[in-house]
Amino acid sequence: MEAVLQVPRRSFVREWVLTVDHKKIGIMYGVTALFFFLIGGLFALLVRTDLLSYKGVFDAQSYNEFFTMHATVMVFLVIIPMLMGAFANYLVPLQVGARDMAFPRMNALSYWLYFVGGITILLSMVYGMPDSGWTAYPPYSLTSQGPGMDFFVMAIHIVGLSSILGAINIIVTVHRMRAPGMTWNRLPLFVWSTLVTAYMQLFATPALAGAVTTLLLDRHFGTVFYDSSAGGDPMMYQHLFWFYSHPAVYIMILPAFGIISEVIPVFARKPIFGYHAIAYSSVAIGFLGFFVWAHHMFVAGMQMSAGIPFMISSLVIAVPTSVKIFNWLATMWRGAVEYTVPMMYASLGFIGSFIIGGFSGTIVAAVPLDMHLHDTYFVVAHIHYVLFGGAVMCIMAGIHFWFPKLTGRMYNEKLGYLGFWLYFIGTQVTFFPMHLVGLAGMPRRIASYAPIFQTWNQVATIGSYILGLGTIIILYNLMISAKYGRKVGHNPWHARTLEWTVSSPPPEHNFDEIPVVTDSPYRPYKPEELTASKESA
Amino acid sequence: MSSSSWLPVQLTSMAHNVDLLFYIMLGIITFFFVLVEVLLITFLIRYRRSAKNQVGVNVHGNNVLETVWTLIPALILVFMGAYSVRYVYEAQNPPAKPLVIEVIGHEWFWEFKYPNGLDTHNDLRIPAGQNVLFDIHSADVIHGFYIPEARIQQDALPGRITQFWVNVDAKDVGKQFQVPCDQFCGAGHPIMVGQMTVMSPDDFNTWMQTELQKQQAKS
Repeated sequence: MEAVLQVPRRSFVREWVLTVDHKKIGIMYGVTALFFFLIGGLFALLVRTDLLSYKGVFDAQSYNEFFTMHATVMVFLVIIPMLMGAFANYLVPLQVGARDMAFPRMNALSYWLYFVGGITILLSMVYGMPDSGWTAYPPYSLTSQGPGMDFFVMAIHIVGLSSILGAINIIVTVHRMRAPGMTWNRLPLFVWSTLVTAYMQLFATPALAGAVTTLLLDRHFGTVFYDSSAGGDPMMYQHLFWFYSHPAVYIMILPAFGIISEVIPVFARKPIFGYHAIAYSSVAIGFLGFFVWAHHMFVAGMQMSAGIPFMISSLVIAVPTSVKIFNWLATMWRGAVEYTVPMMYASLGFIGSFIIGGFSGTIVAAVPLDMHLHDTYFVVAHIHYVLFGGAVMCIMAGIHFWFPKLTGRMYNEKLGYLGFWLYFIGTQVTFFPMHLVGLAGMPRRIASYAPIFQTWNQVATIGSYILGLGTIIILYNLMISAKYGRKVGHNPWHARTLEWTVSSPPPEHNFDEIPVVTDSPYRPYKPEELTASKESA
Repeated sequence: MSSSSWLPVQLTSMAHNVDLLFYIMLGIITFFFVLVEVLLITFLIRYRRSAKNQVGVNVHGNNVLETVWTLIPALILVFMGAYSVRYVYEAQNPPAKPLVIEVIGHEWFWEFKYPNGLDTHNDLRIPAGQNVLFDIHSADVIHGFYIPEARIQQDALPGRITQFWVNVDAKDVGKQFQVPCDQFCGAGHPIMVGQMTVMSPDDFNTWMQTELQKQQAKS
């Protein structure tokens, strides 16, 4: 019936190292990012362990290196590459109905640049770690001793280049390589969100490159960009840095929103509510995201009233986000909600936790309140509710959702639920107390602290151990299930986007025949088609 | 709640205003937080799948609802912003003829210079009931001058002067507060904590004079 072409088994090098297949590159991104997730998580546990006692467990210098490495690894080597490298790479060509990315070799290059950037960060663990925080504000970062800062700068450059190449690939693929009939109004919402994110990466990353390059020049080549005694200005660095790093927060959350927009309608068995509102709110966030950066600098030497326009834009950017939240809730309304592991992460895990980060964002956006809360643990709580309660919950929703597509097998459900509950409870226990000590005035980035804050810090540390345990269980589950999991068909969830129309794992060129798209992936479900497609599932 | 986990005491009337703003915003967000969580959990339970082939209703959206949940948050957020603006100018514009104390951040201690030439390390004393203006800068890297009880902070930068002012209530005379550095500045960052003592104006003047004499006698 079908002609079977015998492909000789290829070596590991040919199969993976030399591959230009977007799916394999996506998997390589994902596995590498999970490896760095363990490294970044280990540093987080060291940070939290230090804070078990108000006197600090480690010396201050080591502590400073730990929190610097934690944030650097998590931001640049885990969340951004996981979302834009792993998920976007694997899914965008499949979801738009293309055989690969527009520039497959460039795609491989962007992975290998990321890999080298990651190795550079790892090498700094041998030759001396950066200790300036991931923000690397001068003049401190200029005086920071040892090669750690230089490794940091090099790694940012390499990873930034990888990011820009990846962004170009996604932009061109979405604009030029959609299958016939894949109109903008039928484009899956995950693709919408990654397209906006790719534009943000393309426009924002050069500012970061400028910031760290000038840092390097000041450190080694005698320039005085940030030396105030010679007419330089350290605040200039902060402007450049946040011109990238605030959009970076949206780079870390928009594709995650995209994952949620795919997961919820499938398990509610309902068309997504407000498709256009969700798509356009991503565009609005992408645009507004470039006008809020100075809210990181309300107390950094700006005139206080200069913060007002940034306060207004930072409050307004909460509107498109709340539009999404209400649309996701409305998608669940009168649906037929199934409590699968990805749905638990997406609903209770993500919506339930992320909104706390969204709300605390409006608090710190208000200039007068930020005068009190800036650089306290309240900000640490806020960003972790956004990045852990937000991005990581979505990543876990996405990994479990597409796991059967990647492997053709199902994860172990019991372990899946256990991992979810450890993550959900661990998130609240770790990060909620940080709001409380922050309100009371505990500064961030301190290795030892006033004794009155000890109780809540110990609670947070216990929470972080719960998260550590959850991570081990989740990764163990994924590893054993990839090999021994129950075999499932090509579409176990009755999902509608194009990747579910091909086999699991998909064939090398995705589609034997380029599909012709005639309908939205968010069309309503009919009971009879569920029965009919059961055979294939 | 113990003192370790809620807003610190209010040292100034501005701290009182900032807290009021905080409680108003907290009230609004608590309402929406409860709303979203209740809807989420209600929908999860009420609309859970009970039959294998059950499907949801065929609804694609509703423009009236979209408009409502765009406009209402927008209005509330703009209200929060507009309400905050007043306090920004209040904090920014120092009152006439304040007592000026120069604050200099060092790795890793605070230096305070008083109008009569007195110079102290980590020992900040301020008179109650008077307008005190801090002229803040740094001798080396960036530090953060933060008085939690006054709900205000400014970074201390090299080559740039930042300012804020306080007027401490008379009820707090004799009390001591910590003035931490809250902008990361290296290995000594956590121990960079000044001690702030609130004094009556008379005591403050006496202290300033006697300390200055002591300092001059030493040198």
